[in-house]
Amino acid sequence: MPSLTVDGRSIEVPAGTTIWEAARRLGVEIPVLCHDPRLEPVGVCRLCLVDVGEKKLTASCVRVAEEGMEVRTSSERLAACRQGLIELLLSDYPARPADRYKTAPDLLVSQARDLGIRWPSPAGGFPAGDGRGIDASSKVILVDHQACILCDRCVRGCDDVQVNEVIGRTGKGYATRIAFDLDQPMGQSTCVSCGECEKVCPTGALSLVRPERGAPDAVASADTDWEVL
Amino acid sequence: MTTGKLLRELRKRGVKVRRQGERLLLRDLHGALTPELRDAIEVHRERLLGAVEEAEGAGVKPVDSVCPYCGVGCAIRYSVDEREGRILHADGRPSPVNEERLCVKGRFGFDYAGHPERLAVPLIRKPSSYPKGPLSAEVRGDRRRKPGGLVDYAEVLPHFREATWDEALDVAAGRLAAIRDGHGPGALAGFGSAKCSNEEAYLFQKLVRAGFGTNNVDHCTRLCHASSVAALLETIGSGAVTNVFADVKNADVALIAGSNTTANHPVAATFMKQARKLGSTKLIVVEPRRIEMADHADCFLQIRPGTDVALYNAWMHVLIEERLIDEAYIAERTEGFEDLRRVVGRYPPEVAAGICGVEAARIREAARMFGQAERAMIFWGMGISQHSHGTDNARCLISLALLTGNIGREGTGLHPLRGQNNVQGASDAGLIPMVFPDYQAVSDPTARAKFEEAWGTELDGTPGLTVVEIMGGALQGSIRGMYMMGENPFLSDPNSNKVRKALANLEFLVVQDIFLTETAEFADVILPATSFFEKVGTYTNTDRRVQLGRRVLEPPGEARLDWKITCELSTRMGYPMAYGSPAEIFAEFTALAPSYAGLTYQNLGLTGKLWPCPDPTGDGVQVLFGDRFPTPSGRGRLVPAEFAPAAELPDAQYPFVLNTGRLLEHWHTGTMTRRTRALQELRPGPQVDLHPEDLTRLGLRDGQLVEVASRRGAIVLPAASSDRMLPGSAFISFHFREAAANLLTIDALDPDGKIPEFKFCAVRISPAE
Repeated sequence: MPSLTVDGRSIEVPAGTTIWEAARRLGVEIPVLCHDPRLEPVGVCRLCLVDVGEKKLTASCVRVAEEGMEVRTSSERLAACRQGLIELLLSDYPARPADRYKTAPDLLVSQARDLGIRWPSPAGGFPAGDGRGIDASSKVILVDHQACILCDRCVRGCDDVQVNEVIGRTGKGYATRIAFDLDQPMGQSTCVSCGECEKVCPTGALSLVRPERGAPDAVASADTDWEVL
Repeated sequence: MTTGKLLRELRKRGVKVRRQGERLLLRDLHGALTPELRDAIEVHRERLLGAVEEAEGAGVKPVDSVCPYCGVGCAIRYSVDEREGRILHADGRPSPVNEERLCVKGRFGFDYAGHPERLAVPLIRKPSSYPKGPLSAEVRGDRRRKPGGLVDYAEVLPHFREATWDEALDVAAGRLAAIRDGHGPGALAGFGSAKCSNEEAYLFQKLVRAGFGTNNVDHCTRLCHASSVAALLETIGSGAVTNVFADVKNADVALIAGSNTTANHPVAATFMKQARKLGSTKLIVVEPRRIEMADHADCFLQIRPGTDVALYNAWMHVLIEERLIDEAYIAERTEGFEDLRRVVGRYPPEVAAGICGVEAARIREAARMFGQAERAMIFWGMGISQHSHGTDNARCLISLALLTGNIGREGTGLHPLRGQNNVQGASDAGLIPMVFPDYQAVSDPTARAKFEEAWGTELDGTPGLTVVEIMGGALQGSIRGMYMMGENPFLSDPNSNKVRKALANLEFLVVQDIFLTETAEFADVILPATSFFEKVGTYTNTDRRVQLGRRVLEPPGEARLDWKITCELSTRMGYPMAYGSPAEIFAEFTALAPSYAGLTYQNLGLTGKLWPCPDPTGDGVQVLFGDRFPTPSGRGRLVPAEFAPAAELPDAQYPFVLNTGRLLEHWHTGTMTRRTRALQELRPGPQVDLHPEDLTRLGLRDGQLVEVASRRGAIVLPAASSDRMLPGSAFISFHFREAAANLLTIDALDPDGKIPEFKFCAVRISPAE
């Protein structure tokens, strides 16, 4: 049972407990996008970085608590890191992705707001891409690849929780995106429409087709000369 | 800059602006965006996002309830728009049942409750619409069924007139009482529903037993697990599961027999798949179709339809031969081993191989995998139970568990996966012709005396008729009047043509439902009831977990709560019933049902409790029968079964074996799911699955319309090529009235469970004219 301190408060946790989990038991919520307690942590969004007194900051969702560890969850350095990460994610994030209905608030936008981070100005010099496209082929889930931050939550929700094993990744570099089966449109894949991917998705990348509106009209993908605000 | 000013500025510069919901679409920007305007757009964008989130959060009420579909009984939080009285979305809740997971039906299948076709006023059949018969051309059978069709309201409704509740109830109660008084209580019968709550089921059977004076009360459990329950009661003295499905993670091996789990119990299936993927559980799947679960199996046996008894006898043969049995358990906890050994001795794998169409070596391999497990669980579904030898199938599975000592410990157990959300509860509450609530036999004088005292009236000691027997009685004229609460036997019962004649032959029929069903076309009085979302009640899931369903929506029009309708009818028939709330009914029921002792509305909490629950502060007992079985001797009985072929085998005229079942996206007769946008869009129509070789042999294309005919009827629907089928077999789901599978099925019954053989009949397939 290693004991550690988080922001000066000490706690003893079972061996194998992550720093993020230890902090949560103390009531300290470390901001996170890619992690959810129902999923195996993968440590890809890096928002949960903490300072354990080492040269490098460490991702608390995957780093296991060690005996005598002194964890700091906030500092100027950490705040700057998180701001940089979020601004990068927001720089080509669609403000109002497609015709979406989320069952929970957009975690990226609300994290940005909670951390007092303004939407980066297009003049700010961040690279901004567009055109990763929308997949409106499913009757129930709308996929806005532009809003996807590749946090891997849907992949784990589909593969490890529901064990439907439909969602994976495809492409390299900036062109990396989630894919269904062997990169089929979602509606033609072996997806069983359980909705787990929308439930775990922290952004507007996976949302529900609005029940009252029927199938999405997919304006954003069809009328490409309309810029979505 | 305000949003309005921003828009004016943009328009002034020739930018076209379109509003779409909460979005703004801009066209013809042509470099019109100055740095100031860009900043203004950014500001606007942030404000817009904030405004939208506030709008989404406002006026939304969360209601914690459960799922109305299958026996898994997932815990759900519904987000309800209070102003519009509409469910916005459904989320899985933290619960031992589903751990926040849902399937497509639970997640999206709720909008049927707000469908404009909901019945909202009591209806009485017009005098001009007698003599009674089907009202729509489809149900009459004189017109090809329209694709995508439910009951055509325009065709059926003109045969009814609206009535007040008083008038409708008086007519219903008066006519039923007249039949009871003129022809005796045995001329009446009632079908309750496994979709209704424990409270409603309890009151319904009380009305039939105490108000009508007969035990002719049954429900769709007869069509699903009656044979399993018969076998379980006979062998281990209790019809419920011995362990919860989520405990599969502690099993070394799980046998999944005759259960298309990913389609019919999707969330339970996720626990099985997960146990194998992330844990160390091995899965053995036995099925005539290579179902999705077979893709996850360590061992898959694709047996010929209806050959289960031969297969499991061969397994037991191998287990005994190779001493993979638990001799101590057999000696201490069971009886009848010698008889069983004698019978299974006649089924070496080589004999079974010829019957089942699976190599003997693979049968041995599967038997060893099962026998070598320290802890094994057995799950089964309708593929076991819906046969004319369904009870024998279940007996074999129970013997397998008893031989290997796999009942009564963690990671072991028998789990017949229950179909309807409350089929366990409706059975517990006594919607069964042979037993009072909690399986107390009507023929047992002590039990009868107990209920006579509690209900203050004399009760009949003769077991009543079952579903198919009641339909037979209606056809012969011995059953004259019926009360149908939420059942649709026209589509759900075998041999629909016979059911049509039986329903038309009834002197008087009251149907209480939320939509106009095919069965309601034969009604004299139709009473508009409330949907699952509009009432409070308890529901018992496949694990024996009793959970509280809470009210999410208001009922439409004059629709009334089901339990109140039952009380009114009963009172008007001379057996007064008055309750203040469902909690009061539940208290009366639990006082009479020892298994439910200790459960109250106050202690069920957000995740319910398992019965039995000897410690009211605990979660209930998860694993049953660790020490003894509730049989007279305390031991489990090994009941041998001989292989017998199905009632109707394929021949030259009808060469295909028809199997019927369900699809992931739909529910039973489709009255709910076909009125749900997402589910209907995902699966708009029926199909018959055939092996590609059969299609080629018959000269048919994938998607071509074919006629499927049995000795009882014929339907037309598209053929679908599927290499998951065995050659020589066909599969049709029974959800679609336009191609109702039960026009084809046979009403041959299992002698013990009285369950019809939905899973096996002979058909022929030809191109449709």
